[in-house]
Amino acid sequence: MAGGQERILRRRIRSVQSTRKITKAMELIAASQISRSQARIVANRPYRNGMRRIIVEAAKGDPAAAAKLLVTPEHVESAIVLVLTGDRGLSGAYNSSALRAGERLVRKLESEGTSARLYSVGKKAGAFYRFRGIELVEGFVGMSDRPTFEDARRIAAAVAAPFVAGEAQQVLLVSTRFLSAASQGVEVEQLLPLTKPAIVEEETEKVLKGYTEFEPEVAQLLQTLAPKALESEIFSALLEGAASFHVSQQRAMAAATDNADELGQNLSRIMNRARQDSITTEIMEIVGGAEALRSGK
Amino acid sequence: MATLKVEIVTPEAPLWVGEATELVARSTEGWFTVLPEHMDMVGDVVPSVVRVGTTEGEIAVAVHGGFFQVGPGESEGETLATVLAGIAEKVDEIDVARAQAAKVAAEADIAAEARNEQETAASMLARAALERAELRLSARS
Repeated sequence: MAGGQERILRRRIRSVQSTRKITKAMELIAASQISRSQARIVANRPYRNGMRRIIVEAAKGDPAAAAKLLVTPEHVESAIVLVLTGDRGLSGAYNSSALRAGERLVRKLESEGTSARLYSVGKKAGAFYRFRGIELVEGFVGMSDRPTFEDARRIAAAVAAPFVAGEAQQVLLVSTRFLSAASQGVEVEQLLPLTKPAIVEEETEKVLKGYTEFEPEVAQLLQTLAPKALESEIFSALLEGAASFHVSQQRAMAAATDNADELGQNLSRIMNRARQDSITTEIMEIVGGAEALRSGK
Repeated sequence: MATLKVEIVTPEAPLWVGEATELVARSTEGWFTVLPEHMDMVGDVVPSVVRVGTTEGEIAVAVHGGFFQVGPGESEGETLATVLAGIAEKVDEIDVARAQAAKVAAEADIAAEARNEQETAASMLARAALERAELRLSARS
């Protein structure tokens, strides 16, 4: 009987070990992706900041023209909510926390009398809304691991169209921002109307000194600038989302590997004890049998 | 001393950053040149070849539309000129054969879309592709 239990334990240990190999491999792959996606964020920063500086500059140059693009109307009839998740799971709370923040946002909008139209990035968001029977206007997939600027452009075109047509007055983005390698958090941002970026606030102090010339005029410039700024913001959100995904995945897989280690250790301890037990029993039986034979002689 | 720092950046990466003597580009209102101590300026860049003059020679970059800002740089007396371009490439890195092929493909796409009365997304994309190919070819000739 004891031998049977030992065999079962051995089989479980083997299965835990092979799972551990998979989680370990995924951990290493995610770790290698982190540095690459982080480098892409750094490479994107000059463009994003440059875009934000120009918007601040334009808003200062002609506040009246900028007001149309920069100010949110008092009452928002219909808002577009873009939720950014990954295409793959096994990444801890990465997908679920973005989805939960999206749900919270939709509930909040509805309580304010705003109808929300959902757009999503990532297979996980698509599956979530489909499963719940929530209507999704458009779901983009296949770009969350290594987003390209072209992807950002496609998303920007899709979410901007109803805004330009006047069907929606606001475009909101729910995404995971990559604050640092140690900290990422889900945030809700307003994409349209464009918001005056806070990040360049201190930088602009020194620019305040003089008069800025515009070529063409601000009103005309903003027409072409707004869609490009939207693309830029979406692209950096995609990049930060990808980096956050890899960090989450690495962390989740490292935890899974540790668990597998611990489980394997416990199981082999139990197995060793079972084996020892069976050996002891066997010895006892042999000794007992020998005693019985001797005394019976 | 008055100096000029030029940055040509794309969403994927900064394409060229360095000290320059002048920057020549084209906005919707015409060609313009930025020298050190240029006044603050913001504007757009139409698809064209942007030229950066440095002490080691000239760098030509094909910019497929974008924006620029001229402002004060980090150090005293420095002028910073930033060109933001969705797509840009150094002229000497343009693959002429590829641009030629792209031009032919784009023209075929436009011809195929021409029977549609209304403007389609495909025809807009094809026209944009054609513009890019033509700029690349003209930059190299």
